Amino acid sequence: MGDRDNPDYRILVVDDEPDLERLVRQRMRRHIRRGKYGFEFAGNGVEALEVLAENQDIDIVLSDINMPKMDGLTLLQQIPEVNSDLRSVIVSAYGDMENIRTAMNRGAFDFVTKPIDFTDLEVTIERTLKHLDEWRAALASRDKLVAIQNELDVATKIQQSILPDTFPHVDGCEVYGCMQAARNVGGDFFDVIRLEGGRIGLTVADVSDKGVPAALFMMSSRTLLKGAAVGVGEPSAVLGEVNDLLNETNETSMFVTVFYGVYDPASRRLTFSNGGHNPPLVVHSDGSSEELRLTGGIALGALPGFEYGQASVELSPGDLVVFFTDGVTEAINVANEEFGLEAVQALFSESGPPSAREAAETILDAVETFAGEVPQFDDLTCMTLRIADE
Amino acid sequence: MNVQVEHHDGVLVAKVEGRVDSSNSQDFERQLQGAIGEEVKAVIMDLGQLAYISSAGLRVVLLVAKTLGQRNVSISLCALSDPVQSVFEISGFNRIIQIYDTQADALAAAG
Repeated sequence: MGDRDNPDYRILVVDDEPDLERLVRQRMRRHIRRGKYGFEFAGNGVEALEVLAENQDIDIVLSDINMPKMDGLTLLQQIPEVNSDLRSVIVSAYGDMENIRTAMNRGAFDFVTKPIDFTDLEVTIERTLKHLDEWRAALASRDKLVAIQNELDVATKIQQSILPDTFPHVDGCEVYGCMQAARNVGGDFFDVIRLEGGRIGLTVADVSDKGVPAALFMMSSRTLLKGAAVGVGEPSAVLGEVNDLLNETNETSMFVTVFYGVYDPASRRLTFSNGGHNPPLVVHSDGSSEELRLTGGIALGALPGFEYGQASVELSPGDLVVFFTDGVTEAINVANEEFGLEAVQALFSESGPPSAREAAETILDAVETFAGEVPQFDDLTCMTLRIADE
Repeated sequence: MNVQVEHHDGVLVAKVEGRVDSSNSQDFERQLQGAIGEEVKAVIMDLGQLAYISSAGLRVVLLVAKTLGQRNVSISLCALSDPVQSVFEISGFNRIIQIYDTQADALAAAG
């Protein structure tokens, strides 16, 4: 454990807003006192580079975009010259896709939107540090491993580091998600995004390939989806936007199947667009269940300019929505039989839906039991939305 | 997984058998790219004996379709089993690649 003078992690905050330093020191005071985070401050990109040159142990740069002398996007380009072992998080205006996209192309790891929500910022910092730790551990062990295995290891770690492990508390519903990675594949991810007006964005996705290039494609997809979710709004428009961005630079024909839905607790309505992903399952309180309809979509990255459709469904108290990847239904047992959708439905047909967390864990446990000795050949992802009982 | 190649009047028919998933998708890509390297006027992939295709396999099909598209060579699929048909429908790839019920239908359209 660190202490105040020698913190575990050091974060450089770059912003021309003088009040921010006071605010950060105030809101992060517990972490500062416990020696978890130490903060440095700079008023623009030029000052930031000076601080970085003097302090080689900075772990995260949290930077605004518009600043005098040198802006945040230029700073991103310069950072690798002084320190290549840190991660950058950009602070952008709500829905500013253009800058978020540029920042990402220049190596930003993540972004938060203004006005800064400190709970969200803490989650983002934690996730970034987790990613950094795993990345460093992977680099440190590189020489000990056979090249290919190491590459897959790195891919798995990139994948693990972008998954949420805390879920927002929303009145009237509960969200949970978990993933069990296959040994040699890194393709699934899920995300829970807080949106305006108490709504939540729910993403589950599956990238078509494995290894480091696929993991990087996955990171781009996830960040673009998050950016479009807060900026663009309507699920069909979100998928359209991300599809076009992914098609801009996609030499390898990689694609990602994405289900994106926005749940509004006030109306209990789930509005969704399906980009080539297997449809989620809605389980009702009486144990009956059905798949959400397809919306005429196609996997993202495959066909530029495609216009996605969307649909919506009003959920009832006690309903459970199960978002998953095909690793769940296509898991096979020793007799070479598939687990299948019916087996998922059967888990809840007698007793109806349990809590979000219990439902997700029940499904993954059932797949594991079914597969028995057969090695898992695809990632298993399960995210659940449980509407509160009346 | 195995790919067998036949020629019908300048149309290349690639018959794919078995399972294609991430464990053999690179081999699948090599075999297909090798087969379509030569001059052909159209390519038909007969998936009648294909038991399962994962997203890694779909990526190879997409890559081949794009490569052929750049060369102005048409590509179609035929004889898909129900599970395989469903994979193409859910992923939306039936919107990019023409699918026929039988090899004869595909050959008639390509000729």
